Amino acid sequence: MKEKATIITGTVGVDSHVIGTKIVSRALRDAGFSVVELGAQTPPEEFIKAAQETDADAMLMSSLYGMAELDLQGFKDKCLEAGLDEVLLYIGGILGVSPQDFKEDETKFKKLGFDRVYPPETDIRLGIEDLRGDLRAKGKL
Amino acid sequence: MEIKVRQKRIDEEKFLEMRKEVLDLWPTGKEVDLEEAVEYQKKLPDSKIFHKVVQRVHDEGRMVLFPRSGTPIVEDEIELVRSLNELGIPLIPFTTDSYTRNLQLDKAQQGLEESIKTGIPKLNGYPIINHGVKTTRKVVEACDGAFDPRCSRMANSLVGEIAFASGMTAMPNSFFGWIGGYDKKATVEECIETAQYLGRLIGYYGDRGVVITTDCHGWLPNGVYPMSVNIATQIIEALISAEQGVKSVFPQINLQGCMAQDLADIKVVPKLYRKYLDKLGYNDVIIPGIVGSQVPLYAFPRDMGSAFGYIVYTATVAALGKVDACFVKTIDEAIGIPTIESHKESYRSAKWVFDVVRTQQLELDTADIRQEEKITEVEVTAILDKVLELGDGDVAVGAIKAVEAGVLDSPFSINIHAKDNVLGIRDLKGACRYLEFGNLPIPEEIKDFHRERVSAREKAEGRKLDYYASVEDFWAISKGKLLGTPKSN
Repeated sequence: MKEKATIITGTVGVDSHVIGTKIVSRALRDAGFSVVELGAQTPPEEFIKAAQETDADAMLMSSLYGMAELDLQGFKDKCLEAGLDEVLLYIGGILGVSPQDFKEDETKFKKLGFDRVYPPETDIRLGIEDLRGDLRAKGKL
Repeated sequence: MEIKVRQKRIDEEKFLEMRKEVLDLWPTGKEVDLEEAVEYQKKLPDSKIFHKVVQRVHDEGRMVLFPRSGTPIVEDEIELVRSLNELGIPLIPFTTDSYTRNLQLDKAQQGLEESIKTGIPKLNGYPIINHGVKTTRKVVEACDGAFDPRCSRMANSLVGEIAFASGMTAMPNSFFGWIGGYDKKATVEECIETAQYLGRLIGYYGDRGVVITTDCHGWLPNGVYPMSVNIATQIIEALISAEQGVKSVFPQINLQGCMAQDLADIKVVPKLYRKYLDKLGYNDVIIPGIVGSQVPLYAFPRDMGSAFGYIVYTATVAALGKVDACFVKTIDEAIGIPTIESHKESYRSAKWVFDVVRTQQLELDTADIRQEEKITEVEVTAILDKVLELGDGDVAVGAIKAVEAGVLDSPFSINIHAKDNVLGIRDLKGACRYLEFGNLPIPEEIKDFHRERVSAREKAEGRKLDYYASVEDFWAISKGKLLGTPKSN
């Protein structure tokens, strides 16, 4: 087992909203994780490449511009092809043009292969708790 | 790496060479005939000339809304700008779509064609490059207002070419805005070079008697943070543009929610612009007025009552400060893409406040406001003087070195070259203070003032203020408060 779980963070696609992913990254580091911070405007392929290179345990994606669904078509398959079967996939933010329908967004992104989906304004501490639990369940923590 | 850029006007021959490359980016570039465009601009009525409209509003003691507009289909765009006109809006910021901003013009073309085919907008703005000069002139001619297109670094030069040739008379040239919020990888030098091109283009018109204005937005803080870095960087943008021949600059005051600070900034910003423009020899550059802006990056209230409250409060501060134009968001900002009806409701509420408050000609002059004025003035001066020192008097070189050294720095920025070693927090009265100074050249006695205010809040709340407290403050306004509170675990 590695000393620390490695987490990839970033805002996916051509989305320039950077604040959320910065807060997530800092909170993860403070909580003792090893964080690979890709920042805003990160293409999905870069997440996969970074996860392969760093033997990552999870990817925490942010998206605020409503187009994540388009950005992430076939993403899970690409992860599987890249041998990242065991990497947890989390996403949070404004995931559709109509964020009131969070339940719909959640279903949509779970179908796309995400393990956890978060609405806007989620407290990051909640996400970190979930992450610890999920990593423990996989025997990675 | 060696810095090549200098604060020096691009000579005309070189500029005309550079233009060829820009106009070759898309077929509509051929529609730009600069001499014909100058003549077209000269024939525009005063109501389409940005600085004249601002000056008129200013002289009449009125204030106007400064909304956003931009939809792909030209007929819809005409309808939209006409409806803004009917609401009494004479200054029309004009939004280009994201593909255009990233110079993905094939995708913009595809989106435009699909929009036309289906009658439903598929792009989040007006693809000005794809539409070209002839079509865009139709929009400009369709209403009685002065246009000010929005773009970002990648397409800035060609958007400027097409916009001015189409009769638009203002455009932001805010390279620190790109560093703060839009461009992940560009170097500061690349951003300055792009800004110099647009400045030089405006200078070309200027040499022929056509005054085009540039808005200066500065490095927008992506969190709760004092405005001194934002103001200093706005002034740097104004100086870079002025050297290239820009003759009219339009400062933007970012209203953060603390009335004393916001009103102080409104008073002090034009003075500081004037001071540095004159100091560096740009005495003939005018400041026709100022625009207030609801600071764009705080989370917005999700319920309509609170959203109205926030909009109306911002409008009140702007009216008390007597700005000439003001940008407010719409009541459905936090929900999704604003509807036309929500634009109208939001703007009517702001206009109501503008008209009622301005009539009273109230002069607010309190000890708190005066103190904030002094602090902003000292901080901005210290930062700008350090930038000029780093560049041996050359503001372009100084700006590059200052970002490298963290002398210019702002939290949560998108650009990888920003240091991001600074943080802000609100004090007990809601004013934004520095929590972490990074390498900002703030004088020691002013740093002590910030520290005192922060420690007073720490004492009152019985906790140490840190990064997470700063993030809580960032969220607070969406909950109807200025100060954040620790969430229960």
